[in-house]
Amino acid sequence: MRSWVRHGSIAAVLAVAGVVAVGCGGDDSESGEGAGGGSINVAIVDNPQMKDIADLTPELFTKSSGIKVNYTVLDEGTLRQVTTRDVAAGGQQFDVVMIGLYEAPQFGQNGSLVDLTPLATKDSSYQIDDIIPSVRKGLSVDDTLYASPFYAESSFLMYRKDLLKQAGVEMPEKPTWQEVADIARKVDSPDTAGICLRGKPGWGDLGAALTTVVNTFGATWWSANEDGSVGEAQIDQPEFKQALEFYTGLIADAGEEDAANASFNECLAQYRDGKVAMWYDATVAAGLLEADDSPVKGKNGYAPAPVVETDASGWLWAWALAIPATTPKQDLAWKYVSFATGPEYIKQAGAKIDGGWAAIPPGTRESTYEIPEYKKAAAAFADPTLEAMASAPIDNPGTTPRPGLPGVQFVGIPEFQDVGNQCTQQFSAVIAKRTSVDAALEACQQVASGVGGQ
Amino acid sequence: MTATESVAAPSVKRSRGLLPNRSSEAWRRRLPLLPALLFTILLTQVPFVMSIWYSLTDWKVVPPGPREFVGFENYANLVKDGFFRDAVWVSVQLTVAPVLGSLALGAAFAVLLDRKFFGQGVVRTLIITPFLLMPVVVGLIWKNQMFHGLYGVVNWVIEQLGFSSVEWVSRYPTFSIAVVLIWQWTPFMMLIMLAGLQSQPADVLEAAKVDGTSPWGTFRQLTIPHLRPYMELGILLGTIYLIQVYDQIAVMTGGGPGSTNVPYFVFQRSIGGGWEFGQASAYSIVVVIASIAIATVALRVLSNLLEGEDAA
Repeated sequence: MRSWVRHGSIAAVLAVAGVVAVGCGGDDSESGEGAGGGSINVAIVDNPQMKDIADLTPELFTKSSGIKVNYTVLDEGTLRQVTTRDVAAGGQQFDVVMIGLYEAPQFGQNGSLVDLTPLATKDSSYQIDDIIPSVRKGLSVDDTLYASPFYAESSFLMYRKDLLKQAGVEMPEKPTWQEVADIARKVDSPDTAGICLRGKPGWGDLGAALTTVVNTFGATWWSANEDGSVGEAQIDQPEFKQALEFYTGLIADAGEEDAANASFNECLAQYRDGKVAMWYDATVAAGLLEADDSPVKGKNGYAPAPVVETDASGWLWAWALAIPATTPKQDLAWKYVSFATGPEYIKQAGAKIDGGWAAIPPGTRESTYEIPEYKKAAAAFADPTLEAMASAPIDNPGTTPRPGLPGVQFVGIPEFQDVGNQCTQQFSAVIAKRTSVDAALEACQQVASGVGGQ
Repeated sequence: MTATESVAAPSVKRSRGLLPNRSSEAWRRRLPLLPALLFTILLTQVPFVMSIWYSLTDWKVVPPGPREFVGFENYANLVKDGFFRDAVWVSVQLTVAPVLGSLALGAAFAVLLDRKFFGQGVVRTLIITPFLLMPVVVGLIWKNQMFHGLYGVVNWVIEQLGFSSVEWVSRYPTFSIAVVLIWQWTPFMMLIMLAGLQSQPADVLEAAKVDGTSPWGTFRQLTIPHLRPYMELGILLGTIYLIQVYDQIAVMTGGGPGSTNVPYFVFQRSIGGGWEFGQASAYSIVVVIASIAIATVALRVLSNLLEGEDAA
């Protein structure tokens, strides 16, 4: 009896140890597999252009290079969590990660990413000087390129030419926000709202659109110290209040239905359904409004992002590929980055992807806008897009110096993501009429004051 | 390995002592359980102890910096944090209202389902369905098909009745989420109450009938006292689960005043953008302590009640 018990318990302990050993073995084999077979692990964001490249990689890349690419496709929020943990905390899960224009220079400055400048300069097929300068600047720190843009966008104003004509108003060539607000209030009717603006909480949703307005109203999130570090929070300043009152007031008077829940997709649906007359959002939307299946195709005009105190106010965003400094497969990783973000892929993809030429990844390279097929497919919006990209005020988006790395619709400091999320929840509550502008500003000032001072 | 050896050794020694069989026998019986216990401790308690340690540091992932011991600073910040207090209040609302609401509805459905009728099995299955759906799916369905300002069913009905549509999720986030939770948890409560109803001794009910008690009198004087422990159980289990609601909030509102509860708040402070693992650990430790306190009180109340039932 006694020995039976002993044996039983030892067996159980061994079984437990076995489970642990198997667990460890799993990890080993995962990393070991890559080293032998010429394959790399890539994390990308879940949007149509990335899915296209994932489909085309075996044919256009693996066939000629012999490098197998294992994609992990994640939604934006999860991708951000995974890459931040992997890159910032020095994990080794991925050889190439897709990151945004917000993270790229921050991670680069931390030393978490491989400097792409020498690799890109050596690689003649990559043509580094073809990258649109504002995008390149946004992904660099002191001229050191840390991520290679796959897709880039700015923001502008889209409007229904027919509805504005009906209402007897005309869109100025370079509108101010006051002019746009007047037009919105004029064309607003029970069936059609005047303008669609983002109201959904999130630093990349409401935060992006509102910050471009804040910038051009001469307000700012934080003042900058002389060395570029974060100074005092400026949410309690009159300019910020003016900008927020303008934005929320415009939505209240002439905004879309359920604005506190609306972001890009919601506005896109309402604009295509004819429920809004104007829409201020990402330039990439134009491709969808002018697509063959769009009910509003050919009815749209495009104007630069409206301004108040500044010359230009459009935002600048890019999804870009970066190589974590921890990867042992830098060469293979660069070959992939050069393929996926080089000028050749865009030319090859146009003829192969389902969406046709209008659906290629836009905004990264000047050569894209010289491809005759693309110019034809994107005739309505190619020029306004390129202009918006070129004029995005990446260096000096507001009227006062701001802290951190360059950025337009965000402040280039790591804490902005958090502060932006919390504050836009307050601002979204103002749009939903659940709280007042003053209460939201006070709460936001409190959140923003937690940064820098510590 | 070493742990089992050291535990096994004294049992051999003690068998020569005064009380030879009792303790060694007891230990021998426990022995096969020890590896499992060890495994459980490793999996649950080690991470917990590590979180306690993290909560005493200023660990931040972004921007990466040295991780320093700061003592109870995180806990002191927590007392000052008005947003945490708001989240606690939302958590209370989003636990109490759904638990009581779904219990009341669940009891009503259980009473209806307790009698025999044609198609009973089908109806029972249909009523259970909401509980089987994934929380994320439930959130999406309600947000887009029920509550939506333009395309929602609820607003369609309201408009048919001649009122103007309401932006439910944005205007009344706490209420909207509570409704969704009640919808999803009613079947759970119904199952528990149904089990209670069906365990009623038939002879007692029959005796009541013979004595000429009215149906309502039977329900009030016999059924409800009989159901009380089942209600307590429903409240306890419902509270334990509903206090950690996250999915519906993430999908429906993405947080904000009136919908950020404590779990969502901890998410935001940690991997949801705040990246302050030290501070977030402090929040979660406080939540664990509060949960243990609530659970202890609830369990004590429950066991007292159960004993009371037995005595009566």
